[in-house]
Amino acid sequence: MQGRNIKAIDNLRKGSYSKRQLLGILFIAPTVLFLAVFILYPVLYNICLSFTNAKLMKSTTSFVGLENYKKLFTSTVFPKYLWNTVTWTVFSVIGQLLLGFGFALLINRKNMRFGTAFRSFLLIPYVVPAVALALVTKWILNGDYGIASTWLQSLGLIDHRQSLLAMPGTAMTVLIIINIWRSYPFPMLIYWAALKGIDKGLYEAAYVDGAGRFQTFLHITIPYLKEPTIVLAVLRIIWTATYFDLIWMVTGGGPAGSTTHLPIMIYQASFGTFQTGYASAISVILGMLLFICVAFYVKNSVTSED
Amino acid sequence: MNNKIAGRLISKLGFWVLVLTAIVLVSFPLLWMALSSLKPSVELFKTPPAFFPRNPSLVWYGKAFTDSTVLRYFINSLIVAVSTMIIDSVFGTMGAYSLTRFKYRGRKLIIAAVLSAYCIPPIMLMTPLYRIIAGLGLNSSYLGVIIGHVCVTFPFCIWILISFFKRVPKEIEEAALMDGASAFKTFYRIVLPLCVPGILSTGIMAFILSWNEYLLSSVLVSSDTMKTLTVGLANYISSTEIDWGTIMALGTATTIPIIILFTAIQKYFVEGLTAGAVKG
Repeated sequence: MQGRNIKAIDNLRKGSYSKRQLLGILFIAPTVLFLAVFILYPVLYNICLSFTNAKLMKSTTSFVGLENYKKLFTSTVFPKYLWNTVTWTVFSVIGQLLLGFGFALLINRKNMRFGTAFRSFLLIPYVVPAVALALVTKWILNGDYGIASTWLQSLGLIDHRQSLLAMPGTAMTVLIIINIWRSYPFPMLIYWAALKGIDKGLYEAAYVDGAGRFQTFLHITIPYLKEPTIVLAVLRIIWTATYFDLIWMVTGGGPAGSTTHLPIMIYQASFGTFQTGYASAISVILGMLLFICVAFYVKNSVTSED
Repeated sequence: MNNKIAGRLISKLGFWVLVLTAIVLVSFPLLWMALSSLKPSVELFKTPPAFFPRNPSLVWYGKAFTDSTVLRYFINSLIVAVSTMIIDSVFGTMGAYSLTRFKYRGRKLIIAAVLSAYCIPPIMLMTPLYRIIAGLGLNSSYLGVIIGHVCVTFPFCIWILISFFKRVPKEIEEAALMDGASAFKTFYRIVLPLCVPGILSTGIMAFILSWNEYLLSSVLVSSDTMKTLTVGLANYISSTEIDWGTIMALGTATTIPIIILFTAIQKYFVEGLTAGAVKG
């Protein structure tokens, strides 16, 4: 309706109609150029590289067909690293959604004293540099002097001088917990916005009808949060499955490959063994695994756009 | 009656217990980093460690900030983050305004492209981008790192900015157009001033994302003097003799400005994000 108004005004002043359009095109041009050169081209280039034997330092490359993919699928470690990726992603996403939802319920309380300050405080992990978090994690869990390690050692839960990060059975769990710590604020905000959007009249009507708090929660709150949850889960799956920094800086993928997921595998192929072509093939496979999520998210957002 | 009062009391008490637990859980790692950075060697390596430093000292900070490479890392990060912020704000503002207020063919496709770009993570851009940047001869240059950082921040910025522009009532613009103002003047004089808080907070968010970025910074720079702060810091940990005191001091010094910046803009950021990022 309003769009039509603008059009009407533009038509009214015939002379400026094309001029106005020109401004819009002029303004979007840098964005389009940038997306084409630095996003689309690298993505296509990456796909091309995956069919070559490109090396990091060598400029000559030749086409090798599906060689890199064959190497990946016959690799003995690929199933394990894929499984690590799934574990890392599933538990991180479930954890951050649950914690985010719990915190959203806390900050949604009306007339809470220091409510705004509390909300601001809970958002802080969103911007804490991953490197700082990684370093303090290593310090807290340091086998000799770390506060958590010495505590666990004195309780006899782990051996003397041992660290949870050095044991294949626990390293991934620690990383997932740290990752949940740093990534709950986004779900918290989205859930909080969704909670605020629920019509208060619904609750009042339900209370009048004799529904308890738990019942209203189950039958009003939960159904309302279904859609934001799906969109959040999709977005966070994409981000988490491809998130590299934290694991790399805390464990580097070890001990014994127990925390190596596909992003670490890509990095090691690219800058550890300099097999650019192979690294590209792994990232194409990771991209294909996530493509459905991306497509769903983009379609959903563009549809709700207008 | 008594039961009801008791019930309310328990519920209130439970609520505050939860709030307190949340505060402890969220603040612990940061607090521990800051407290450790204030402990001199004797206390830092004591087992079991005491929670608060007995003789707080700034010795680690002194050690860190008299190191010329550390100062260089700070300056590098600052140059890269400020440049990223400016590029994202200027072109993001133009793009977002165009996408919200103009109708042309391919508009929807561009929105979809921005969103898809937002979903493409640094790890997938790393390998091709390294080759492209190196091919342009921009390895270990500010421009190379800035391009990398714009790649990972720009789609996010434009997406948030769209939500800010959408909230400017169209009637204001129509009135200006009616009065004979040109399209550019309408944008510059009417819309832009209304969006300053949104653009500013998006720009600061770009600064924060760039300041925190690790992967592309580490890949696109090989010379030590061009490293950014995050990469320099991460390298400290892989050296054979780990200097925990200095690391904690640097970690704290890296984090505090970011928390202050974020706290300053988070009101606008929350508005922008909850309005635009995820629509159920």
